[in-house]
Amino acid sequence: MSDENTVHITSYKEHISTWAALMLLTFMTVAVSVFGAELRTLSVATAMIIATVKATAVGYYFMHIKYDPKLYKWMMGTVLALFVFFMIMLTIDYLTR
Amino acid sequence: MTVDTLPYTTFYKAKKGIWSWLFTLDHKRIALLYLYAIISFFLVGASLGILMRLELLNPGKDIIEPHTYNQIFTLHGVIMIFLFIIPSIPAIFGNFFLPLMLGTDDVAFPKLNLLSFYLYVIGALFALATLVFGDGPADTGWTFYAPYSVKTGTNVTMSVLAAFILGFSSILTGLNFIVTIHRLRTPGMSFNKMPLFVWSLYATSWIQLLATPVIGITLLMIVAERVFGIGLFDPSIGGDPILYQHLFWIYSHPAVYIMALPAMGVVSEIIPTFAQRTIFGYKAIAYSSMAIAFIGYFVWGHHMFTSGMSGPAAIIFSILTFLVAIPTSIKVFNWLATLYKGSISIETPLLFALAFIFNFLIGGLTGLVNGALAADIHVHDTYFVVGHFHYVMFGGTGFAFFGALHYWFPKIWGRMYNKKVANTAFTLFLIGFNTLYFPMLILGIMGMPRRYYDYLPEFTFWNQISTFGSWITVSSIILMLANLIIAGRKGKRTTDNPWNGITLEWQTKSPPPVENFTKMPELPEGGPYNYPNAKKA
Amino acid sequence: MDYSFHLPNSGHNFDPKSSKLGMWLFLYTELLLFGGLFLVYMVYRELNSEAFLLASFKLNVWMGTFNTLLLITSSLTIAMSITALQKGNKKLSINLMWLTILAALGFLVVKYFEWGAKFEHGLFPGMDHYGSLPLGERLYFYLYFFMTGLHGLHVIIGAIFILFVIHGVKKGTVTPERFSLSENAGLYWHFVDLIWIYLFPLFYLIH
Repeated sequence: MSDENTVHITSYKEHISTWAALMLLTFMTVAVSVFGAELRTLSVATAMIIATVKATAVGYYFMHIKYDPKLYKWMMGTVLALFVFFMIMLTIDYLTR
Repeated sequence: MTVDTLPYTTFYKAKKGIWSWLFTLDHKRIALLYLYAIISFFLVGASLGILMRLELLNPGKDIIEPHTYNQIFTLHGVIMIFLFIIPSIPAIFGNFFLPLMLGTDDVAFPKLNLLSFYLYVIGALFALATLVFGDGPADTGWTFYAPYSVKTGTNVTMSVLAAFILGFSSILTGLNFIVTIHRLRTPGMSFNKMPLFVWSLYATSWIQLLATPVIGITLLMIVAERVFGIGLFDPSIGGDPILYQHLFWIYSHPAVYIMALPAMGVVSEIIPTFAQRTIFGYKAIAYSSMAIAFIGYFVWGHHMFTSGMSGPAAIIFSILTFLVAIPTSIKVFNWLATLYKGSISIETPLLFALAFIFNFLIGGLTGLVNGALAADIHVHDTYFVVGHFHYVMFGGTGFAFFGALHYWFPKIWGRMYNKKVANTAFTLFLIGFNTLYFPMLILGIMGMPRRYYDYLPEFTFWNQISTFGSWITVSSIILMLANLIIAGRKGKRTTDNPWNGITLEWQTKSPPPVENFTKMPELPEGGPYNYPNAKKA
Repeated sequence: MDYSFHLPNSGHNFDPKSSKLGMWLFLYTELLLFGGLFLVYMVYRELNSEAFLLASFKLNVWMGTFNTLLLITSSLTIAMSITALQKGNKKLSINLMWLTILAALGFLVVKYFEWGAKFEHGLFPGMDHYGSLPLGERLYFYLYFFMTGLHGLHVIIGAIFILFVIHGVKKGTVTPERFSLSENAGLYWHFVDLIWIYLFPLFYLIH
């Protein structure tokens, strides 16, 4: 089809730098966990933050949300907002029992 | 009469033979396959309902054993919810009319559409197979609450798998509709020029897509528990049965809007057509559909006020529940305002739409009684709740479903039913319905618990009224369906546009050709409901 | 047919934007499918944090780390294979997809040994040692097997999906102009990676 199909081709270079960043973050999160065991909750928080950064990188670059129409960002945002709401309500219930 | 009289082939006659139906990719044929399957299951579910009402005619045992009674109300729930209401309007009328209303020739993924139908069939077979295999159908209620659903000897595994497969079918239908709406609108039709039925399907599809997987995984957990014999929701190993209820209602409350939103969409089509007047508050109705879909996710906790959920959480859920009432009432007021100063012609579909508003009002307001934290403690798990959701589901969605059937009947079959019989059936239906369910509200306030096989003598009077109502209801449904079946075979040929509708499905032939349109459909000027012959106010 | 009339917006046209949108919608569904499990994990973690901590020591961090690196690298190869296809380099594209499948197999082999070790210790729900674990730890292992099992299933489905794409490129149905299938396989594979990105710290790194 010919409807304004200007395909964005992501360069190899961009892929490889994303990959390098992901590898680095993985090493970081393992290091924090193995060597920072006494940090406890802090280390859990770090692990989750790093995981989220990694997930964002995968979504943004590998799955090219970055180059997609706004619609995709909106949809993804809505889905995540719903899920976060589920988490918040469950947490409220269990923490205030 | 018809716009042009060139010969054409209807989608019925384009291909012949049973295989051309079973492997069809035509959305209209798939819709009809759904129609026949769904109506059949509706009749099965209704028969089970009649059986229950017969049993409750007198206190004590009338015709069936208590255990059978438990299985019957469970099967009634599973069939009516998963096999009738959830797919009813989207899978039948959505499939048939979404592409027509958008001015295209099919949904975005026709093969996926056929797959959805077969998943539906397989799921239905699973649900019915529980009658034969294992120790009979589940006796847990359609909610499958843990830990009982894990411990009972009946065939919960298969019922749950049925719900899982049906959920998958529902997800794929939703996915298909969203892509269709985004990609296949006729040139010039922006989102704000779409018919309101399409808007409501759009909102519904998002719920199907984003809520159903949660119950899918939850039901798989129940299956795993039963297969491995170790409870994930078992308090004896640190689990929490209330978590099951949370996950169940995270889906099943939004699912209520899967059932209600398409019905509202149908009403939003019927009312402007029979008032021949622009719909009042197009944007308000369209966006309130989206708002209902969205807020519907935030209120699941109101099913669990007495479960042991924490107080603060219950309060938040109660407040959020009241928010859902706002977009719903926005719709009701807009429908009424549309009728005002319209050139109303009272035909059967309009009667159904008006009955929808009436029943849904009772259903909705009793829903707020349930949603109010303090009041709910009193009526929770009583017949009040049973009455409430039958008013919403059957009195609302059920009436809209039959209204849609009467509204689009001439388009689907190209014939007209006997209107007098249809009106008589409708009147009986409305009377029967209210006789059947209003006593339940009273019984609930009096304190009769739901799902009970037996009851105290003081509840006898209202129970008998209710059972009496069930007989009227079933007679009216038989009359109505017989009228439609006869009309489908022998009814008078009708024009392409008997109701003077202006949404795009009325611009093509009745019944439509395979390609839906024989020429480019033309968007009505100034919005989808800008009736040219409307009275100038 | 009496008419040769065709609508421009036909549902039977090939439309790459439709298939991409459809794939994303499907991924949202998948996301919430796993989402349900993550919610269960979150609540039980809150209720049994000590037990989860202790149980997590029974997993092998290095195997988990190795698998993580494997999946991330396979995400790179599949992403590059799409770029290669778009640039018209079919051969490179196919080779990169084979590499991805190889990584998938590697992931499953490591997983096999990990699960095997747990089975040997009788940690699978229903086995004898499992029954003697403290309450919360049983939940942990239940969730561990359920979630990594479901994820493993997705790895297998993703690999089969990629096999189809390789077949399509060879047959010429997936081309530099018509790459939707390859793009969708890529999206699916990244999604599998995405889930693992969360599973890994939640099960292996919560010391």
